[in-house]
Amino acid sequence: MTPVTRTGLDPVALDTLRGIVGERYVLTSDGDVEVYSRDATPLFRGRPDAVVLPASTAEVSAVLTLATRLGIPVTPRGAGSNLAAATIPEHGGIVLVLTRMNKVLEVSGAELLAVVQAGATTAALSDAAAAQGLLYAPDPGSRTVSTVAGNVAMCAGGLRGLKYGVTRNYVLGLEVVLPTGEVIRTGGRLWKDVAGYDLTRLLTGSEGTLAVITEVTVGLLPLPAASGTGVAYFDHLADAGRAVAQIIADGVLPATLEFLDNRCINAVEDFAGLGLDRAAGALLLFGDDGAADVVARSLERMGTTCAAIGARGVTTARDVAESEALLTARRCSLPALARLAPVTMLEDATVPRPRLAEMVDRIDAIAARHDVVCATFGHAGDGNLHPTIVFDPADGDVRERAEAAFADVFAAAMELGGTITGEHGVGAAKRPYLRARLGDDQLALLRRLKTAFDPAGILNPGKLGS
Amino acid sequence: MSGPDDARDEAREDAGPVAPRGIFDPDLLSACISCGFCLPACPTYSLTQDERSSPRGRISLMRALEEGRLDEDDPTLVEQASFCLGCRACEPVCPAGVQYGALFEQWRDHQWRGRRAPVRARALRAATTVTPAITAAGVLRGAARRTGPADVDKVHLMLGCAERALFPGVSRAVVELLPGAVDVPSGQGCCGALHGHNGDSAEGVRLATALGDRMPGTVLVTAGGCATHLAHVLGRDRVRELSEVHVERWDAAPDAAPALGEVRAGGRRARVGLQDSCHLRNGRGVVRQPRDLVARVADYVELPSAGRCCGSAGTYAMLRPEDSRAVLDVHLDEIEAADLDHLVVVNVVCQRQLVEGLRRRRSRTTVLHLAELLAVALRAGCGPPA
Ligand SMILES: Cc1cc2nc3c(=O)[nH]c(=O)nc-3n(C[C@H](O)[C@H](O)[C@H](O)COP(=O)(O)OP(=O)(O)OC[C@H]3O[C@@H](n4cnc5c(N)ncnc54)[C@H](O)[C@@H]3O)c2cc1C
Ligand code: SF4
Ligand code: SF4
Repeated sequence: MTPVTRTGLDPVALDTLRGIVGERYVLTSDGDVEVYSRDATPLFRGRPDAVVLPASTAEVSAVLTLATRLGIPVTPRGAGSNLAAATIPEHGGIVLVLTRMNKVLEVSGAELLAVVQAGATTAALSDAAAAQGLLYAPDPGSRTVSTVAGNVAMCAGGLRGLKYGVTRNYVLGLEVVLPTGEVIRTGGRLWKDVAGYDLTRLLTGSEGTLAVITEVTVGLLPLPAASGTGVAYFDHLADAGRAVAQIIADGVLPATLEFLDNRCINAVEDFAGLGLDRAAGALLLFGDDGAADVVARSLERMGTTCAAIGARGVTTARDVAESEALLTARRCSLPALARLAPVTMLEDATVPRPRLAEMVDRIDAIAARHDVVCATFGHAGDGNLHPTIVFDPADGDVRERAEAAFADVFAAAMELGGTITGEHGVGAAKRPYLRARLGDDQLALLRRLKTAFDPAGILNPGKLGS
Repeated sequence: MSGPDDARDEAREDAGPVAPRGIFDPDLLSACISCGFCLPACPTYSLTQDERSSPRGRISLMRALEEGRLDEDDPTLVEQASFCLGCRACEPVCPAGVQYGALFEQWRDHQWRGRRAPVRARALRAATTVTPAITAAGVLRGAARRTGPADVDKVHLMLGCAERALFPGVSRAVVELLPGAVDVPSGQGCCGALHGHNGDSAEGVRLATALGDRMPGTVLVTAGGCATHLAHVLGRDRVRELSEVHVERWDAAPDAAPALGEVRAGGRRARVGLQDSCHLRNGRGVVRQPRDLVARVADYVELPSAGRCCGSAGTYAMLRPEDSRAVLDVHLDEIEAADLDHLVVVNVVCQRQLVEGLRRRRSRTTVLHLAELLAVALRAGCGPPA
């Protein structure tokens, strides 16, 4: 497929767009497009020619029909919180922002599902579910900001992945607009439905390259009666990794197993002031939910295992507020690390759980070899690590060293049977490494799939499937 | 493994400003990592769901200004510098510790310098610089009586240029609450908070310093916005806000605390809500104290948006009345739904905003400054300690 190149939008096309969504919702001035030129990924920026904020599926359809007809690139965007440069409009064109379509349309206790518009935030969905005694399980660290469609498009994970899985496990159905303008519904309200290819799953994690999601139907669970959280401190991050392996080997499958190294502990403590042990080499946050006695037993078992592995201290949160504070602090790890230096570059390498401690050691060695400051945190229970290199760009060739270090991290992850990204996606940021992970034949299939959905190649060009 | 390809290089930007213009403190500007955690806290983003009117979007604009990609005449920059409430709700929620308030002042200093500022902002800046005019307004409206030059042994009550004219009862209530402990020095002038937030932070610092010189020692302030600005210039130790002072005093010496009665309404303990002062909450971190005091004398009701800006935002209600009302409406809805007897405020501009808003809606809820509520309780109790 030939990539669409930046052409600028002609005045007629702009007028048509204004006719579709209304004058106020087509932004084109330099200042307007500037704010939609980046997402949460450091060091990437790309200017769109126009920003369009539709209010309905019909408007999205009209915009895409026009774009396909004229060959205008369209990059869908939710909250712009992704960490893979997935919303950077590398080829200009339109950034299509779905935040105005942000309603929670329905929560059904009888059917254990919810229906939301694309731009509803993850937190709004989970609050609406909780109000009816129900749980929306996926909870990415960015839940207060990220949109549900953005979660679906990235197949976001979260802090409960170990027991509950990730976004993909909860998407029952989608309403999407194809790049050619047709509106289709995949899946639906049924937990069982095998009519046709599983397009719902294909679209989950498609990073805005196959279709624009306008409505999402997700599955819910009954809200657990109780939940609890504990903290164990270790001298080394690798010890925390060993504790994770042991906890699971013991037959406990808790909701949450997250870890932070010493640098992260200190950055988070600077922000949240929870009284964490700043001298510890690592912190393991463990949590579970369910019936009160089951939770208590599970926390106790995890605490005992940590102590046996050599934890320097184990505490459990006294109440829900304290639990919530700990989880909130964990969610803030990445931005809190920004306190250390102007640039924070984070990665998302994931390895099979038993190799976690080994991967941690490798990351340490790689950081030392390239002379970079690396802080590591992550969803330990999922084998998902976020090594984060912090640096001041004024410091010579540090950026090249950081990139070289990450290339080694990916290679190490794959050597251990892992992957280049567990949950943050490929976007523009990890595209150079995709071939190594998928191989030529699979890449070619991705391209053919992309063409089947998007014959004109207008949707998020340059990303997956290009 | 292949290296980064060309398209990637094209989309990447060079870290660090190309040719910094020196409008912003570079360390403050580089602290933001664009994570977006601040979006849900921002009242203007809540109104629009549009990144331009979010803290992260505004910081992107500031960066483009600093790096020369946009100039100060860009309509989006002009609009967003004015649409921002300056409420700083984006600060405490930012894990990276971005000091948005400071960046905002630097932005307005540049964007609104001299004649570039909106006409009404210029007029207000000028009016509040003239001490005799402010003093006259206070005298006419019957604010607390000046007691002459500052008495070194006492805490000095700052009268506040808007408050003494609009709500003179507040300073009188403070004197009633702290008999013998406060003096009210004459010839006070403006603290400069208004200038600091309206594109003239140098004048803001000058006025605060001058006020500090006229009132050596501890200054007691009844308006959250003024307290935070003054403390920023004079140092936190020298400037105390009303609720902080009371909670501290009464906790330190419970026996010396006055016997407070109950504030009652309709034959029962009154239902009272609170509107935080943004700068007091987000800049100074005072959250617990005013709630604590209200709960001592009435049934405290936490409104869902108690901690969010009411839209008064210094001069904002005068400069952008429509947006100000849109922000306020959320609060008015909540106040009406909660069926409050009183709504307590800790800042003069919030007081004006809510009084007018509730009057427009013919609401039964009355607005009281915290000092006024406590004075009612004092009168209902046995009065000051012997
Ligand atoms: C501090 C922080 C913590 C994070 N924690 C986690 C975490 O724990 N787990 C995790 O998985 N991720 C995490 N993320 C990454 C990010 O929040 C997720 O990828 C999230 O799903 C992005 O949602 P968004 O609405 O911001 O999407 P955007 O960033 O706007 O878009 C992401 C992708 O989805 C596409 N897209 C958006 N909306 C649509 C639509 N309606 N139709 C089709 N395509 C669309 C875009 O084109 C883009 O490719 C974190 C990010 C930050 C900054
Ligand atoms: S200001 Fe803070 S919370 Fe907002 S985007 Fe920047 S780093 Fe994130
Ligand atoms: S100061 Fe208030 S209005 Fe301005 S960006 Fe921050 S939260 Fe939004």
